[in-house]
Amino acid sequence: MPVKKEKEPLIMHPRPSSIVAALYTLRDLDTDVVILHGPPGCSFKHARLLEEDGMRVVTTSLDETGFVFGGHDALVEVLEKVIERFNPRRIGIVGTCASMIIGEELHEAVTQVQPDVPVIEVDVHAGYRDNTKGVVMALESALASGIISEAEFERQKALLKEATLVEKRHGAASKEYLEPNRGDLKYKVAGRLLELIKQGKKGLNILNAKKETAFMFADINLAVAQVAQKLGYGSNIVNMVNLDDNVGLPKNRRNAREIKDDLKEKGFEIHHIIGGLDEYPVAGNTADRIIGEKYSDYDFAVISGVPHALPMNNINNMELFSVTNGPRQVVPLKEMGHTHVVVEIDLHPKTLGVSHIVESEFGATLREMVKDA
Amino acid sequence: MPKQIAIYGKGGIGKSSTASNVAAACADEGYRVTIIGCDPKSDSSITLLQGRRIPTIMDLMREGIDIKEEDIVFNGYKGVKCLEIGGPEPGIGCAGRGIIVAISLLKKISRAIEDTDLVIYDVPGDIVCGGFVAPVKKGLVNEAYVLTSGEYMPLYAANNICKGLSRLEMTLNGVICNSRGALNEEKIVSEFAKEVGSQLLAFIPKDVLVQTCERDGYSVIEKAPDSQIAAVYRKLAKSIMGKRDGKIPVPLDDARLRELTRI
Repeated sequence: MPVKKEKEPLIMHPRPSSIVAALYTLRDLDTDVVILHGPPGCSFKHARLLEEDGMRVVTTSLDETGFVFGGHDALVEVLEKVIERFNPRRIGIVGTCASMIIGEELHEAVTQVQPDVPVIEVDVHAGYRDNTKGVVMALESALASGIISEAEFERQKALLKEATLVEKRHGAASKEYLEPNRGDLKYKVAGRLLELIKQGKKGLNILNAKKETAFMFADINLAVAQVAQKLGYGSNIVNMVNLDDNVGLPKNRRNAREIKDDLKEKGFEIHHIIGGLDEYPVAGNTADRIIGEKYSDYDFAVISGVPHALPMNNINNMELFSVTNGPRQVVPLKEMGHTHVVVEIDLHPKTLGVSHIVESEFGATLREMVKDA
Repeated sequence: MPKQIAIYGKGGIGKSSTASNVAAACADEGYRVTIIGCDPKSDSSITLLQGRRIPTIMDLMREGIDIKEEDIVFNGYKGVKCLEIGGPEPGIGCAGRGIIVAISLLKKISRAIEDTDLVIYDVPGDIVCGGFVAPVKKGLVNEAYVLTSGEYMPLYAANNICKGLSRLEMTLNGVICNSRGALNEEKIVSEFAKEVGSQLLAFIPKDVLVQTCERDGYSVIEKAPDSQIAAVYRKLAKSIMGKRDGKIPVPLDDARLRELTRI
């Protein structure tokens, strides 16, 4: 008998797009130029942001005529132009809703043009419930073109499965509609945190950030360590970061190294590495284990990045300060039991195209408040 | 690698009848056959299943079922594996997209399109949009056949299909004439076949027996195995199963097509 899938909750909130997820994955694979095969407005905001990050994103600009008569010629033309203009070493072609619905075959254009560099083709549209589908599809294609290994592919797939679960449990996919919320006032939260530090309380300082967002989230952990140091309680703080630079796609390893170098230079001591930059869905489990073994009696914890991926088991009794970049993550975090939730608005765009730590508002607030201490 | 064929032709010209009779005739010869109905009406395999309607891939998808091969593959006459893609009600949604989705699902989960000797794709109507050539584009078809009568409109559709095939660089492996009793019909279709670069494989005379059997839910191969018309289908089946090279067709211009039907 056919088995019915468990009914998924309604989605009435626009969700992160699988097309965009494929674009970011191609960037992580060091793709030089990506062609979006579809209408000019599709994924425009992220396409531009990714250009800040050094990857060219162009479009075949399908219009009504293209929808009706097909976009093969347009794709061939843009592909040829891309090769001539950018001289890329690696090209991506990414589908859109429009081109996929009308049955465009990305591969036909590649067969016709015969570029002498690898082309990663991703037959993706935005009609998937989880945007991680776009990542998997991009990786599948990278695997087929021999750009990543089978082992890396399997590793990524397992991580994505966890990432999807994390979002379903306590994240952006946990409810059919989530009110945006600006979180608690940074000044007040910073005041409370400094109060605890000054009382000589012991605290965990955890970075569990997704990929390049760590460029700014790390600044928060850096600030916490710096102010504790300045107040004379530096040794009460234990630092855990997901900055393992031996795992993940090329860009993620590079970024982990860059952030680690910056931290080191500023005297930040890393006590525990809990995973790599793409391991944010599971690094929380590593942190949880370490906390259970060594730090379960600590008084507070600052968690920046993806705080909702950290299991509550061993931090239940601590005063929790979490820093997120998602206005829709505030309510779920409060519901989990996080006492203070701070939002770094528009964090992601500021972490594209950078190779050094970027100052955060919460970090700046903390530093300002101990300036004269 | 199985022989993978698609049968194209104008709507109502008799593709499903031809496909199911060829499937049954091949099964009689001991071949393992799979038939995949690509028409939203889902009636390609009905005469191999004694008139029973099977759940279509699109039906199950709509119900949110985690589709396994056993949910969509049904054994028909002499073990012919029957699948129906199905599709939306007329006038809503996008049947072409349905075919694309179903074809990628089949590629992933189905052994019935691999562990077999012959796969027949019964594709609706003319080639109307990207979706309807998905079996060809996704590399699941290696031979194409066009079914037509000798009348102008079905030939016009057949010629259009040849246009589509040549654009896809897909070979045409034969033209089949399903007679509607037009004057000089066999000669016209035979000439058409030659001019587009192919050949007439069979002339199927108009026989009320086909409709009688279909109404009861059977192919003529099953219900009237000794009939003359059954022998015609058997001969066509043999011809399809025999090794033959196809050529990318060269469509005719409309003036020539009109002239042809006046022979």
